[in-house]
Amino acid sequence: MFKLRSWHAFSGISFLLVLLPLLTAVGAFLSYTEQAQWSLYMQESYTWRVVWFSWWQATLSTVISLVLALLVARSLARRTHFIGRWLMLRCFSVALVVPSIIAVYGIILLHGKQGYMNQLWHWLGGQPRSYVYGLVGILLAHVFFNLPLAARILLQRLEAIAPETWRLSSQLGMSSTDLWRHIEWPHLKGVLPQLAAMIFALCFTSFAIVMTLGGGPKATTIEVAIFQAIRFDFDMAKAVYLSLLQILFCGFILWCGLRLGRPIDMFASQGVGHSQLSLRPDTQSLMGKLHDTAVLLLATLLVLVPLVAVVIAGINDAWLQVLIDVRLWRAFVNSLWVALSSALLSLLMAWGLVLAQRYWRRHHPFAAEAVEWTGSIILVVPPLVLATGLFIGLRPHVDVFAINLYVVVLVNSLMGLPYMLRVLSVAYIKVSSDYDRLCSSLAIYGWQRLHQVEWPILRRPIGLAMALVAAMSAGDLGVVALFGSPDIQTLPLLMYQRLGSYQADAAGVTAVLLLGLSLTLFLVLERVLGGPRD
Amino acid sequence: MIELKHVRCGIGEQQFHYDLQLPEGEIVAVMGASGAGKSTLLNLLAGFVKPDSQVHGEGEIYLGGERVDTLEPSQRPMTSLFQEHNLFAHMSVYQNLALGIRSNLKLTTQEQRQVEQALEQVGLANMAGRLPKQLSGGQRQRVALGRALVRRKPLLLLDEPFSALDPALRHDMTMLLKTLCQQHQLSALVVTHEPRDALALAQQVVFIAQGRVHWQGTSEDFLQQTDAGIKAYLGENC
Repeated sequence: MFKLRSWHAFSGISFLLVLLPLLTAVGAFLSYTEQAQWSLYMQESYTWRVVWFSWWQATLSTVISLVLALLVARSLARRTHFIGRWLMLRCFSVALVVPSIIAVYGIILLHGKQGYMNQLWHWLGGQPRSYVYGLVGILLAHVFFNLPLAARILLQRLEAIAPETWRLSSQLGMSSTDLWRHIEWPHLKGVLPQLAAMIFALCFTSFAIVMTLGGGPKATTIEVAIFQAIRFDFDMAKAVYLSLLQILFCGFILWCGLRLGRPIDMFASQGVGHSQLSLRPDTQSLMGKLHDTAVLLLATLLVLVPLVAVVIAGINDAWLQVLIDVRLWRAFVNSLWVALSSALLSLLMAWGLVLAQRYWRRHHPFAAEAVEWTGSIILVVPPLVLATGLFIGLRPHVDVFAINLYVVVLVNSLMGLPYMLRVLSVAYIKVSSDYDRLCSSLAIYGWQRLHQVEWPILRRPIGLAMALVAAMSAGDLGVVALFGSPDIQTLPLLMYQRLGSYQADAAGVTAVLLLGLSLTLFLVLERVLGGPRD
Repeated sequence: MIELKHVRCGIGEQQFHYDLQLPEGEIVAVMGASGAGKSTLLNLLAGFVKPDSQVHGEGEIYLGGERVDTLEPSQRPMTSLFQEHNLFAHMSVYQNLALGIRSNLKLTTQEQRQVEQALEQVGLANMAGRLPKQLSGGQRQRVALGRALVRRKPLLLLDEPFSALDPALRHDMTMLLKTLCQQHQLSALVVTHEPRDALALAQQVVFIAQGRVHWQGTSEDFLQQTDAGIKAYLGENC
């Protein structure tokens, strides 16, 4: 009987941790509904411009990312012996955990007014142009994150095509166009709608990128408008109105995504790119080689060069001056703490929910389904909106600036929860179906079962999930900006300030430190928790 | 005559070396343990695997006196048939056959007639519009055979074509293959694990072990062999 109660308590706490913030936020929003002058906001052209821009930039980002990803995936599939392939795929796999502010910094280094592109342009005789702030910069940043993500998933699809199919195509003498029409497109088109839905949702709620590269009257999204309403205008009612609007849109986007099929796992493509043999008949033509070279160079320019630019910018004389700054180390420690706490909290929440789900699956399938929905709330109430709700809801009761790191941890762990939950529940179902009978026949229960049977199987997916949540939380610049106070810093916030205050050298060093922290967290946690590879 | 002159290739750790002459117009069974190099032999013939660099007079492959190892897979006078993945899932049976004639699927009236005839010969005349997923495993292999017919290449390379099928169905398909080869005067190399299939289908057997031709002879002789390697492969029951 004791066992039953202990997991009850565990699950109960998990539910509370997930639901309480949400209820607080919703309560805060509702308390403002009477004050808000809905009709006034509705009439403001500003509101509609913001709404339009949110949809427009997300649509453009999705289309551009997907088209480029199709080209890149195809070229990578054709060039199995291309020298930079390993490096490119490795960069693609870590691009996801690069902090937004670092990507933005890299893009500014490359495309800013004094950036490499303008230097090249100037050398060629042109006048320097400023194009990075606004829609172009936002698109570049969104492509930086989503092109690698989509390309890996598409490449995985291409690599799953049976070798027989390629042999058949070479025997039938198919041209490159035929291969695309008869083999590649039919294999890829199934995954495109869900992929598009996922990228769209990511771009629609990408706050930090738009805040840093956009933000002007022409390039503001709903989330940035919420931020500005709170931090600059102190207009809570307007923030509430915009938040509710954002929830409505996110709900709609999620609903559309679900109608298109089961959401794809954005991290499922780990380990892609290992097939060494190209059996394709279209790798030898000169046109094909030129085309692939151009495509892969473009991908390098969009994804690898910004990262390299960050590293180069970090090599300067400001090292010592930056490193002896106590603020930097406080921020570093805070970021590390946020990262590890978020990963752990996310895991505990997911575990509690999965235990309840496992219990209910037998008797109340509907309740088991509801658990999954509970864990995915963050998809409908995006992080910045949830943080807004908490900010407004908690402000009368506590010093919101003093608790900012706790809120950052909470929101970040909720962000990782849908993924963590799916990873755990899939692994648990597998453990259950593979070993339940064996365990009961050998009388392996409780702690023994967890230790001997479940952990060896669960540690790999858990390790990867925690590594991702930790790395992403370390780079978070959403919640922390909203709750930010001068006293409590994190590395991304410090980086953001240095970027704004033209301390180029200090920004460069901070950026390398932050990038190093995120990547180290990701790689170390994945290896240490995930255990040795086969 | 189908001839491989000291054709060598290395895949990973394993070395393959084939020196082989086979009569044309016959069905030859290729047998041997898993990983012995049966599929590699077929892949070399079809051009899916390239032989290692050649010394003059070695590493050449001839079919009916014509040298074929210098040709691209699509130009070689042969058609391959695999255990699965022979069809394009999104194309109808008809289109899958049409692909054997022209990869843009635009056929002349005469070519359309050829496709219809081939479908009749493999017993799928009323299924032209179906998709592969609406067919059984045996029917899918019939489609692949149909395409081999419309391609009109003199040599068939079949890599365990019916292994995934039930015994009765496998027998039917084996008989169909035999009939079609006789009608169209086709040569065929069939990789199989079933001694019974080999006996029913083939006049000749090539036994591969450790990447080389270990034994070659008639199928009746094969089953009577006292050779230790072959006996170990066949087991006690045969």
